[in-house]
Amino acid sequence: MICRKCDAPATILIRKEYWYCNTCFITNTNHKFRACLGRSKTLSPNEKVLICLSDSTSSMVLLDLVQNSISLNGTKKLRVIPFFLHIIETATEDSIRTAKLIIEQCNKYNLDIYIVDINEYYSTNNILPDINVLPQTKSETLNNMRMNVSATIYDDVIVKIKRTLFLRIASELSCKIIFTAETTTQLAKRLLTNLAIGRGSQVENDIGFADQRDKSIKILRPMKDISNEEIEYFLKVKQISKIQNSSNTKIGLQSVVDNFVLDLQKNYPATVSTVCKTADKLGSAENTTETQNCTLCQSNITFKSSKLTAVEATIFSRQMCTNKAGVNDKIEVMQSITEDKNPMFPSIYKTLCYGCSRNFSELDSYL
Amino acid sequence: MPVPCATGCGRNASLKRPKTGDALCKECFFWAFETEIHFTITRGELFNRGDSVAVAASGGKDSTVLAHVLKTLNERYNYGLNLILLSIDEGITGYRDDSLETVMQNSADYVMPLKILSYKDLYGWTMDEIVAQIGRKNNCTFCGVFRRQALDRGAALLNVKCIATGHNADDIAETVLMNVLRGDIARLKRCTAISTGSEGTIPRVKPLKYSYEKEIVMYAHYKKLVYFSTECVFAPNAYRGHARALLKDLEKIRPTCIMDIIYSGETMSVKEEVTLPTQRTCSRCNFVSSQEVCKACVLLEGLNKGLPKLGIGKSSKAKRMLEEYNAKQNDSLQEAISEINDEFKKNNCISKGKVCKSNCKSKENKHSTTDLNTVDANTNSCEQVHSNEVTDDNKETKCCNKKQYCTNKKTNETNESNSKAEKLLAEYGIPESSDKPNSIEETNSSQDKVCEIDVSNSVDNEEFDVDLHTNDEVILKEEDNTCAGACGKVDSLHIGF
Ligand SMILES: [Zn+2]
Ligand SMILES: [Zn+2]
Ligand SMILES: [Zn+2]
Ligand SMILES: [Zn+2]
Ligand SMILES: [Zn+2]
Repeated sequence: MICRKCDAPATILIRKEYWYCNTCFITNTNHKFRACLGRSKTLSPNEKVLICLSDSTSSMVLLDLVQNSISLNGTKKLRVIPFFLHIIETATEDSIRTAKLIIEQCNKYNLDIYIVDINEYYSTNNILPDINVLPQTKSETLNNMRMNVSATIYDDVIVKIKRTLFLRIASELSCKIIFTAETTTQLAKRLLTNLAIGRGSQVENDIGFADQRDKSIKILRPMKDISNEEIEYFLKVKQISKIQNSSNTKIGLQSVVDNFVLDLQKNYPATVSTVCKTADKLGSAENTTETQNCTLCQSNITFKSSKLTAVEATIFSRQMCTNKAGVNDKIEVMQSITEDKNPMFPSIYKTLCYGCSRNFSELDSYL
Repeated sequence: MPVPCATGCGRNASLKRPKTGDALCKECFFWAFETEIHFTITRGELFNRGDSVAVAASGGKDSTVLAHVLKTLNERYNYGLNLILLSIDEGITGYRDDSLETVMQNSADYVMPLKILSYKDLYGWTMDEIVAQIGRKNNCTFCGVFRRQALDRGAALLNVKCIATGHNADDIAETVLMNVLRGDIARLKRCTAISTGSEGTIPRVKPLKYSYEKEIVMYAHYKKLVYFSTECVFAPNAYRGHARALLKDLEKIRPTCIMDIIYSGETMSVKEEVTLPTQRTCSRCNFVSSQEVCKACVLLEGLNKGLPKLGIGKSSKAKRMLEEYNAKQNDSLQEAISEINDEFKKNNCISKGKVCKSNCKSKENKHSTTDLNTVDANTNSCEQVHSNEVTDDNKETKCCNKKQYCTNKKTNETNESNSKAEKLLAEYGIPESSDKPNSIEETNSSQDKVCEIDVSNSVDNEEFDVDLHTNDEVILKEEDNTCAGACGKVDSLHIGF
């Protein structure tokens, strides 16, 4: 096979269809990254950007792509002032090793990085640490939470907590832009997960190119057109060390979706990008004239509408299980249910969105 | 050790509700199940007093439970509805016999009038006659298109205010997932609506929208309702198959996800700048269509004129074929038909539009790059029909011939439905067996190509044309005429998403 770009012998096959030589493959990946940023036109010259790395392998590629783009000359140069951040999620040996690996890699490129412990979420002071040092773990709160709540809720809450930390640190560094490293594959997973936990109306901000829920800081996803398959080849060709993910032992909806998307990626790669494209076309049907944001995830809160939704139907089902047959067939959802000691949807329609409200019913002591 | 019923009624619980996890006795379960449907009907404003309502009846579990509960609620709460069971007989020898018998039984049991409309009544042709006309190759198209419209035509003949269908919560959640996988924005938007119907059409409502399939099966079982397991032998289309498998796995972990997915669908919307295919009505028959003349009318025209392959391809093509046909009225009919059919054979690759195009393109490279439909070997999709191969009338092609149309699996239906209920009872009946842990293994994607050469980053060619790998974005949009869309559901009156 011959490279589709330069007629050299091809070494890489993408999506069972596109053949490349190593050189053209790397070039194409770099171009995808810059094309994504270029289209958006959200970056002003010398924009300060917080670049958030994570436990995922794609972070290493993001690091390399940014490094490459800022070291170019002429019009192609990405004119940003980057700050790098990595959050340690759990105090396991694996994640310490990963953090060290990331510091090492940054230093190879002559870049500095901030490493922050996720439990800083609970701290009220400034949380920006010194550069290139591992933080001391101060709190076990989130680890305790992990032991005590379902994997589905834990995984979802961690995504929201990390997002909050990204925004806090960006604000401490006065960055108005954040880059995160989600790939097409990861975004497809997140879209399906969002649907499965009732966050369908948040798809635009959670899966699209830009998360614009925060009024002053935008989170951008410049790797959204790059798939995990390409990430693997990229690391291999450039001989960058891979991050070993410590897998969660508990099984939540996210791991079911992960497996499902892995299978899609392998057998029907086009469907994975279809799923992501779908996200670009979706918005929220919520009443946005009177906007109020969820205190946990900043999404718009749906107000109680006259239309019947799954919320009322769910509460009504619960209500029916506490009434004797034949006794109660009032078809009103009792207001008290939402204000009850152990409500199904605490603070829904008030301060929390549906998804966060469902989470909150399990873990109010941790938030 | 008996568990008391969660409602405090004093009886012992006999099941754990799949929907809420509460332990209930049978009476309290019936009450909850029925009252929830009453809640849906009332809050969803599905009916008006005095309405005539056609209950789509296939003899399957969903429609049987729907008919039973509607009758019960109509009397209990005095809705004042005039309920009529509506069944469609496709006219496939042997296919409907058992299920129609079940529907007749329901009609007698619930003292509800039953109207069975045949394809002959609705279209002037039975499926058997259509098959005889067109051979066994393309009838999936007919099957799908005619089925989609049969309920609407039937309801119009009955002169009812609306059609109630048995779609349950699982169906709706599954459809949300399916439409995301297909990238079908228009259907994604519609599929969670509790009542659908554009202007000038008879609305369809879904009283079981928030009822779990598992509870429907348990309700039918404990109430000893007679139903028939109609497994349509068409494999569900690949997307629905995948969506169903995903939903089942998700539900095992978090049963509320069915409601969560429905909520997602209810609160999500299509951005204003996205243009959706417009829905209008067919200029000939007035039923919903995305074209000026609906697919069913085109197919019928073809059948009636002896041009059965008319309309199997694109509608623009159909129009041209029809023009040619009219131009050739003077020639011998036989000649015209064979010419058009020959032409059809030569060009049928483009007949499926985008999907097929890329299918043919990728054929050279021997790897498919298209969507689920074309690649899934496990599915009896109809793609084969539209593939590049010249279809020889005597040669059997893989797909639709083996299973030309929905013939019923000749299984012992009572056994089959019992086994499903029994499985559920083993899980949700009390005393309850311990939950099996779900083991899901991490699959590691193995990389088969090794890249050994070192490459520097400096490659930055101004001329380089970036590949976004999106040119094979082939999605089945509105144009969805094969059985792949229609036969996705177990129960054939289940069409309408
Ligand atoms: Zn090349
Ligand atoms: Zn929220
Ligand atoms: Zn009871
Ligand atoms: Zn028509
Ligand atoms: Zn078929």
